[in-house]
Amino acid sequence: MHIPDGLMDPLVAGLGWAEFAVVAALAIYLSGRRVRDKDLPRIAVLCAGVFVAQMLNFPVGGGTTGHLIGGALLAIMVGPVVAIVGMTVVLLVQALMFGDGGLTAFGLNAVNMAVIAPLIGWGVYSLLKPLLSRGSAPAGKAFTAGEAIAIGAGAWASVFVAAAACAAELAVSYAVSGGAYGIAATVSVPAMLAYHAVIGVGEAIITVGIAAYVLMVSPEMFKARDAEVATPPSIRGAFSSRVAQATAAIIVAFALALPLYFVYSSEGADGLEKTMDDAAVPEGEPLLASPFSYGETYFAALFAGILGFVAVALAGLGLMKVLGAREKAG
Amino acid sequence: MIVAHVRGHHTRPEELDEHARASWLGALDARAKIVGVVVFVVATALLTSTGLVIASLLISVCFAAMSQVPYRHLARMYLGALPFILIASFSVFLFSGAERGLDMWARTSSCVVALLVLASGTETFELFHGLRRLRVPRLVSTLLMLTYRYILLLGDELERMRTARRARGFRGGRGLLDSRGLRVISYTAGMVFVRAVARAEDGYEALRARGFRSDMRLMRAPPLRAADLAFMAWFACISTVLVGLQLGAVV
Repeated sequence: MHIPDGLMDPLVAGLGWAEFAVVAALAIYLSGRRVRDKDLPRIAVLCAGVFVAQMLNFPVGGGTTGHLIGGALLAIMVGPVVAIVGMTVVLLVQALMFGDGGLTAFGLNAVNMAVIAPLIGWGVYSLLKPLLSRGSAPAGKAFTAGEAIAIGAGAWASVFVAAAACAAELAVSYAVSGGAYGIAATVSVPAMLAYHAVIGVGEAIITVGIAAYVLMVSPEMFKARDAEVATPPSIRGAFSSRVAQATAAIIVAFALALPLYFVYSSEGADGLEKTMDDAAVPEGEPLLASPFSYGETYFAALFAGILGFVAVALAGLGLMKVLGAREKAG
Repeated sequence: MIVAHVRGHHTRPEELDEHARASWLGALDARAKIVGVVVFVVATALLTSTGLVIASLLISVCFAAMSQVPYRHLARMYLGALPFILIASFSVFLFSGAERGLDMWARTSSCVVALLVLASGTETFELFHGLRRLRVPRLVSTLLMLTYRYILLLGDELERMRTARRARGFRGGRGLLDSRGLRVISYTAGMVFVRAVARAEDGYEALRARGFRSDMRLMRAPPLRAADLAFMAWFACISTVLVGLQLGAVV
């Protein structure tokens, strides 16, 4: 998933750098408040551990292999903010020492693997853990089956969403440059998503395995598992709960991917609308007019996305509560 | 001796410093090399005219040839990046034609070769010091230095565990349904993390004993010399000419 130089359209690469600069500045500021000098070697050694763990290729089947990204694992171990800085360092070593990923494309690589992957991994894990994991781990086990599912889901989502962002960047580069840069969406999207959906399964299994081993042998390494992100006093009230922080992490990842939509969005009809047009079927009046739209500007679309995310999350939460209540009654 | 294997990059990190010491590039200030190569890479990434992209690739290849970094070493590292370059070039070839596909291959290759020469022609810690002197935040530069140090240690550790696994008959697993294989790989990675943290405390105490106080300090921080300025000016001129010609070609 490491994008080399010269592959991306300069506009898209510049957008990636701009996004990364803002997020990295914030992450370094927040980490600087939280990380003491004494913690630096421990964080560095975990970053080195992620780098080395990436060298371990796992079999995917059919003679192909994949490798760990480690964004979700690092975020679960040290928290999402420090994980952003840590994964940035891992990517810098890869780019500067091994030519793995370019400099002009570093912003995009960092947004995908150092920002989106840890935020999505940590966000999904933090939202699912309280829903799926109740009580303490059974004797001889590192964690409950529910927490294992939450860790695995976080790891899978981190790889899949990062790959989706990478595929979208390639497709948008191709579209805005008229074919001079990037890879056509018809190739990049199915190839990246299909391959990384499978790679994500490997990432999930390996991440759960590493977490299980580390928790059994050295549980103090998972200091941040139950900790919340250190926030400045000015925003502490609004983001003090873990669920609010996890929600914010997922929304930040969404907000970072959204500009691509505005760089290249089509005015054309979607598949159903096109079919209806071709068949000359008129669109009838809606029975219920929604007060919201997807928005024409960045902030309107962001608001619509947040609203949709919260609505789906609340619906999911309600469903889990109902199922939980029925299970107890049964 | 560590053999780092990063997605096909077979390299021995300490060899990188050997090449830097053997090359005239090693004598230049790291800041000059970083700025010069970054300017060239950014300019190359902007090129779309076939002639200019090929010219940029030729400049990169000449830079590599003059750098005195062994070509086998560069070729081995380039091969690691080649699959992604070829996929992108082939995709562009299919959808936009042969010329655009060739442009993509030449443009990405030019950038990758220039970066590999920078990495191979600079001692690792010089590179990190250069970044720090270019105002990269203290937290990032310190973590970079410590992380690289630990990568060398943990790479050795991983190599020993691989040998031990092979000696016990493990051959890498058969696929995602091979639970035993995946458990072995997970536990190997987990063990790397546990051993890593066990070393962190010792490493920190050793650093403190040598005077480390949360930031890298240079024994000497010489200013840029004429050779460094000439190196930057050379890349700035080439980049300006390439971008100027590109803009002229577009207009």
